[in-house]
Amino acid sequence: MEPALLLIILFAPLIAALALAMSLPCRPLAVGSGLVQLTLTMVLMFQLPVSPSAVIDGGYSFVTSFPVSTLPSFFTIHFTVGLDGINAPLLLLTSLVGLAAVGVVPQGMRRVREFHVMLLLIIFGATGAFISLDLFLLYIFYGVGLIPAFLMIGIWGSRDHKLAATQMLLYLTLGGLVLLAGLLAFYFSIPLELRSLDLREIQQVLALSAISNQSTIFILLLVGFGTLVSLVPFHSWAPPGYASAPAPVAMLYAGVLNKLGIYGLIRLGSSYLPDGIEQWSVLLQVVLLTHLLYIGWVTIAQRQLDLMIGYASVMQIGYLWLGFLSLSTIGGAGMMLLMIGHGLSTALLFAVTSEIRDRVGTMKFADLGGLARKAPRLSMFFIVGALASIGLPGLANFAGEILIFFGAWGNYPVTTGLCLLGLMISAVFMLRAVQHVCYGEVSEAVEKTGDLAAGSARWPYVLMMSGLVVFGFFPGLIIEMAKPVWSLMIAGATG
Amino acid sequence: MSSVFTEITLNHYLALSGIIFMIGLAGVMLRRDLMVIYMCLELMLNAASLALISFSRFNVNRFGPDAAAEGQLMVLFIIAIAVAKAAVGLALIVALYRNRQTRNVNDLAEMRF
Amino acid sequence: MNWIILFTPLFAAVLIALLVHPHPRLSAALSISACLISFLSSAMLVFDLGALPLGSFTWINLSGQNLIIEMGAMNDPLAQLMLLVVTGVGLCIHFFAYADMKGDPGLSRFFAKLSLLMFSMLGIVLANNFIMLFICWGLLSASCYFLIGFWFQHANAVEASKQALVVHRVGDVGFLLGVLGVWWVFRSVDFTVLETMLAGAQVAPARQNLINWMVFALFMGCLAKSAMIPLHVWLTGATEAPTPASALVCAATVLVAGVYMLCRIFFILELAPDVMEIIARVAMVSALLAALMASQQNDIKKILACSALSQVGSMVAAVGIGSVTAAMFHLTMHAFFNALLFLSAGSVIRALHQERNIWNMGGLRAKMPVTSWAFFIGTAALIGVPFVFSGFWSQQAVLVAAWTDHPGVFWIGLMTSGLTAYYMTRLLLVAFLGKERSDVVAGAGESSLLMQLPLMLLALFSVIGGWKWIGVVHFIDPDFVPNHEAGVVVMGLSFVVLVIGTGGALALYRDVEQDPVSIPLFARSFYVEELYAATIVRGQNAWAKTLEWFDQWVIGAVLVRGLSSLGTVGGELLRLIQGGNLQAYVFLLVLGVLFVCYWVLFRAHGGV
Repeated sequence: MEPALLLIILFAPLIAALALAMSLPCRPLAVGSGLVQLTLTMVLMFQLPVSPSAVIDGGYSFVTSFPVSTLPSFFTIHFTVGLDGINAPLLLLTSLVGLAAVGVVPQGMRRVREFHVMLLLIIFGATGAFISLDLFLLYIFYGVGLIPAFLMIGIWGSRDHKLAATQMLLYLTLGGLVLLAGLLAFYFSIPLELRSLDLREIQQVLALSAISNQSTIFILLLVGFGTLVSLVPFHSWAPPGYASAPAPVAMLYAGVLNKLGIYGLIRLGSSYLPDGIEQWSVLLQVVLLTHLLYIGWVTIAQRQLDLMIGYASVMQIGYLWLGFLSLSTIGGAGMMLLMIGHGLSTALLFAVTSEIRDRVGTMKFADLGGLARKAPRLSMFFIVGALASIGLPGLANFAGEILIFFGAWGNYPVTTGLCLLGLMISAVFMLRAVQHVCYGEVSEAVEKTGDLAAGSARWPYVLMMSGLVVFGFFPGLIIEMAKPVWSLMIAGATG
Repeated sequence: MSSVFTEITLNHYLALSGIIFMIGLAGVMLRRDLMVIYMCLELMLNAASLALISFSRFNVNRFGPDAAAEGQLMVLFIIAIAVAKAAVGLALIVALYRNRQTRNVNDLAEMRF
Repeated sequence: MNWIILFTPLFAAVLIALLVHPHPRLSAALSISACLISFLSSAMLVFDLGALPLGSFTWINLSGQNLIIEMGAMNDPLAQLMLLVVTGVGLCIHFFAYADMKGDPGLSRFFAKLSLLMFSMLGIVLANNFIMLFICWGLLSASCYFLIGFWFQHANAVEASKQALVVHRVGDVGFLLGVLGVWWVFRSVDFTVLETMLAGAQVAPARQNLINWMVFALFMGCLAKSAMIPLHVWLTGATEAPTPASALVCAATVLVAGVYMLCRIFFILELAPDVMEIIARVAMVSALLAALMASQQNDIKKILACSALSQVGSMVAAVGIGSVTAAMFHLTMHAFFNALLFLSAGSVIRALHQERNIWNMGGLRAKMPVTSWAFFIGTAALIGVPFVFSGFWSQQAVLVAAWTDHPGVFWIGLMTSGLTAYYMTRLLLVAFLGKERSDVVAGAGESSLLMQLPLMLLALFSVIGGWKWIGVVHFIDPDFVPNHEAGVVVMGLSFVVLVIGTGGALALYRDVEQDPVSIPLFARSFYVEELYAATIVRGQNAWAKTLEWFDQWVIGAVLVRGLSSLGTVGGELLRLIQGGNLQAYVFLLVLGVLFVCYWVLFRAHGGV
């Protein structure tokens, strides 16, 4: 029963996209598929075993698996999907942000049908990438998510969108190549007769013997996945890309798809490459601190709202890296929470930003101001998103960040202490943005701006906000899921 | 008399095939007339066919009668494809000539970036 | 029961924000009744009137990793006293706020934020572990931010609110470091567990350094919240909030949260006597400097804010010299009279149509008798008029505690009391007595009864709060033994400085048209704000601009575009081969084939 539900979750967006292509009504169908995804995801999350056993299916639940290609003497590719405590929260994030992204599509835009189809394809790709247990499948699904995003930025984007789209595609394809090299290196360092692309089998194989060449493999994976998560110095594509993307794409990309990079590193790095992480830990710390502080300061200097939000979302990824570096259950659980928090708050901010752009027509701080007067609801959502992203207690980001600090403190007290500086920096730029956008005198451009309409226009924002609040107040929901998997993983990696 | 002249071996066939191929290649590289180049291409193709069929004929001793059948099959394919190619290629040349009133490849130098 | 105390205000805030906000009166009623419910249930808890047992809930359970965060509630005298103070004074302020803010278009918003502030403060009071404390600590910063920026159309208010939150952030970061340190050293964040563990514990000399730093980091939180020098810059800005909110912030919540936190974690402070000494000194110097600042302000709310800071400084100093009892005693009394002073000032400001400059007031005693009397009582309590008023007793407690072992703190404290008498007398003389200094005063009238009632209530407590039979001191520490010997000396000395301070102000400020003393250093808060603006803010902005330039041009242009132009140049070079001559292509093709043949036959396997 449950494996079928997981398949429905995966294919709902694809089916909806196909149905849309045959000229059925866009919005109801897209929202419907989002609702199906969200409901079923929650059902599955509650069915997830509390203490999974690593013996059955490598600790994964609801597994469906069948071979796709069987080239002899070459690798066998399986279509394998399943859930555990690490990808289940990410699946939840995908369905939450996916539903919200569908919800904020402006209905008056040109070629709205094609837009919906591509949007659903991105959701399909993201869902598939998170739940696939086959490395090849994961790579394919990632591509499925990437291509429509590129097209959508190119077609429906704003500001310098063609350049941004090309830059993003080039970056991500090149990063993807490095990633592929890393994955191949990983694959070929498994003993010959045991080689597999299936995470379940890899788990069992590598429980017996550690992988060789960890340091090379890790650095390849770091660069590959790092480009996807826009780690310094591979970040140049992200802020302009997010800023010029239409809101739903920015939400899905900055909120959900780039988590795939972290996710991949958790899956392969934290479990199987502990020595690699160990060897590169100094580099990682330097990169992480550079990322947080450098991007933080660059964000302070931004003069336009959308670019600033783009940089801010990139900067806060830094805390996830700290959690990754910590290699501890506490830090791991914190990462899961922060991924959800960061995904939701970033998506919320991008949705509001794009709404402001559509209503006001400018993104320059100098021309904005007084939005709280003219559009109090929109401003409220903006302020909530901003405060969430700087770690206001009671919202999900805070719970994640504090756990990451607890987790990393033991091994890297100095780095953690320096990372705390990032909290101050992000407070400075976010509060400045709030000050420039929401408060102050009503500017000329804002004068004619109206607020969000009641009801149907508002629910996506409420959805994201309530996600932030729920996981902020009850982080246990995620932690209980992630804890056993992380404990096993850390125990396997260190012992 | 040495056996070189009495007995025709695989080497003879291969040498012939090579000579025909080289003639074809030289034609393609040196002649200017599109029609001639095309015919030289056919020469090269047939030289290859010849090599294939002689290999298959002389490999019967080694791999059994199936080898001959396989080689001939392949050659038949090549001939069939060559025919199709001839149809398309000649049609292209005719169309080109109609448009440009020339068959000299030096005048047809648009294939560059 | 405790959860009702804590969550009713949050519930009210959320309800107002989501549903009730179109109806201002209903919102106000909701917020006020939430505060009332909190107050009543606190009273039931404290006086043992059928309160339910305390509950707790596991927020984060990482049991294998020594990180179990169990949200519960403290129920010791410290928390109980603070509950009563916060909810009681808060209730008076809520009532006053309704009367004061009636007619403001943002009334619902205001009450939602006020309730959020109450929630955060009550969370701090009840917190039974560092994480819960830190969560509410952060929420307190946020609600303070919202309240200061309440009139968001005014650039000043917005700037001040941002500044406040950034400063609080600095403190938060320090505090968080301290919390991490505590967890790392003691492997627990629960107050009860830690207190049992540390009871009578000796610190190993090797660890003393670490513990010192940890305690200092924890003190950073207090430094920002209680606006100690050098993080006091947000306080004068906080006066941009509506007056009731300023009252709540200064008298019963944000400012004193730092003091309460230090009292709460006193068992950890005790491990680092050296740091406690530093705390006492920093705090007392802050108190003195704040008093100096107050003596030169012209804005009535700024004077009161500086005075609150000065009083809070002496409370923190009391904790620093080891007397939690004196600190909490003074905190309680201060909550009454400071709220009273702020609310009376609010009443005045409302009557004078938002005029806050004392040099435009004067002669208010005749115009607003009730408000003026309330202000007089508050002043008397603040400057410690002997034997009758509450402030006298609590200040005595602080000074007596410092008398024996901390002469430095004592003398600075004494100076501060003298200065307090001086600047409050100045304020009274200029704003309330004398003749009317501007036209706005002529049209002023007494405020409504709804505003007077909270004033009267607070005035009553400002008088009797310190009396022995009320028993605040013994509530905190049943074994408290007053030091009578020192008491007499200290009393005499403080009476002398009181007379000097009052006399000095009388001599200088009687019947003057403008300020006879002008010390810009004090008036501008020692230029600390300007210093920050010139160094940290400007430096950070310049640095940020530089990095942005670097990102744009070095990484974005040189590296990225450079790599892409490598591709372009390579393509241009290879293009030269593509001449368009068919036969040249064939020639190249043949060369390629020949090369492959050569490679396969002669190279690939080391020759044929």
